[in-house]
Amino acid sequence: MNIFKEIYNYRELLKSNTQKEVRGRYKHSILGVLWSFLNPLLQLLVYSVIFGALIANGDKTYHIYVCIGLIPWTFFTTTITQGALSIIMNGNIVQKVYFPRAILPISSVISGAINFLISCIIILAFVIFSGLGITPLILLFPVVLLIQCMILLGISFILSAGTVYIRDLEHIVGVILMAAFYATPIVYKLEQLPSNLQIIMKLNPMTYIINAYRDIFYYQQMPDMQHLAILMILSIVLVVVGYCIFKKLQKGFAEQL
Amino acid sequence: MQKDDVAIRVEHVHKSFNVFYDRTNTIKEKVLFWRRGKKEVRQILKDVDLEIKKGEVVGLIGVNGSGKSTLLKLMTKIIYPNKGKVETNGKLTSLLELGAGFHPDFSGRENIYFNASIFGLTRKEIDKRMDKIIEFSELQDFIDNPVRTYSSGMYMRLAFSVAINVDADILLLDEILSVGDQHFQEKCFKKIEDLKQEGKTIVFVTHGMEAVNRFCTRAVWLHQGVVKMDGDTKTVVNQYLVETA
Repeated sequence: MNIFKEIYNYRELLKSNTQKEVRGRYKHSILGVLWSFLNPLLQLLVYSVIFGALIANGDKTYHIYVCIGLIPWTFFTTTITQGALSIIMNGNIVQKVYFPRAILPISSVISGAINFLISCIIILAFVIFSGLGITPLILLFPVVLLIQCMILLGISFILSAGTVYIRDLEHIVGVILMAAFYATPIVYKLEQLPSNLQIIMKLNPMTYIINAYRDIFYYQQMPDMQHLAILMILSIVLVVVGYCIFKKLQKGFAEQL
Repeated sequence: MQKDDVAIRVEHVHKSFNVFYDRTNTIKEKVLFWRRGKKEVRQILKDVDLEIKKGEVVGLIGVNGSGKSTLLKLMTKIIYPNKGKVETNGKLTSLLELGAGFHPDFSGRENIYFNASIFGLTRKEIDKRMDKIIEFSELQDFIDNPVRTYSSGMYMRLAFSVAINVDADILLLDEILSVGDQHFQEKCFKKIEDLKQEGKTIVFVTHGMEAVNRFCTRAVWLHQGVVKMDGDTKTVVNQYLVETA
């Protein structure tokens, strides 16, 4: 397992590149990191108003339901979009200096996770002030986060390397993510869909991730551990497969860029 | 298999590039203009075999397009050979282009951190070298200003100072011995002399025969992708000058 050693040797680069991405996201904006709160809050407002009127049926905690779906989903989409571009965006150093290329998609995922953790303060605020409170189930939060990060890492490995060769991927991914928003129970509940559409959702790994977050914060019940265990195994497979593809494609990066 | 006294081993390396006349990069273009994607395979290196021992200072010389820079890029593992093998033994630093990865909005100091971390240094190691790097670059008064305010000479001085203070075992330099003014150049030469004394392996590509004569213990002459001559600096340089003059 040479890769672990190499990444450990280059840990300072991983750190400073992650820092650069976290800081760079809101650079030149007056409100800076405040956007990490404002963005999801404003989005949440729009969705709560529109879908609240359409499907909430007078559910008083609907906005919390949406919030716990929307924030992990935003983490998912922004990280994939950024991860896919991570090699291209750093083309100038990829062409000039040797370093483990895997650092780039890894740092996109980590910087995404940091932003997600900042946004999670919104979830906590909602849960506390609505009277739902926090239970010891929150100890499972890092487990779910880890699974989500690994899924993101696997996808980022594949997309970041693939985009170097086929630039269209960037746009294709955008369309798929747009559709996937509706194939994930973010604004409505799984049971509200006709059964043939439910099947699509049940094939979507993000459904289980978001359900697990909801179980922890909203329903305050034990998440389905069997689902999480399967997801954990699948995400490990995804990371390994993703890295193998990445490793295969990375030899041509400097020439293709 | 690896002998300990070999720093770089290049074994029967072939490298060719695809030269696209009209490169298609998107699916739309690939479908619409599939006939346009005509390419020509240009062979840059042909069966290059080279063994550089630890402590050697090697000058790669040759006319433009002879494959010197490509060979250097292969040694750094930025690109990979089509055939053959390149092995390196020890920590390697390359200076192919000065200031690669400098971020214009970051200060000189922040860029030292970032640049040095690209070379694989840890925070501690960078902190230890920070004063040395700043001192070498002679940018004390400007080190906390953003790099975009630097002149090109200052920019190069900073980049060179970082690379030269990384403490690598192998140093690969591409045409960069012409940085800065006379005074800074002389300082760089001195530093390279020091590194040579310390037993570092240095490979550099240059057109300046004076520098080759001054530092190199060995010269390798590449011509159209093959090693035309390899050996004692004086002999190779003289022959090169005779034939290309």
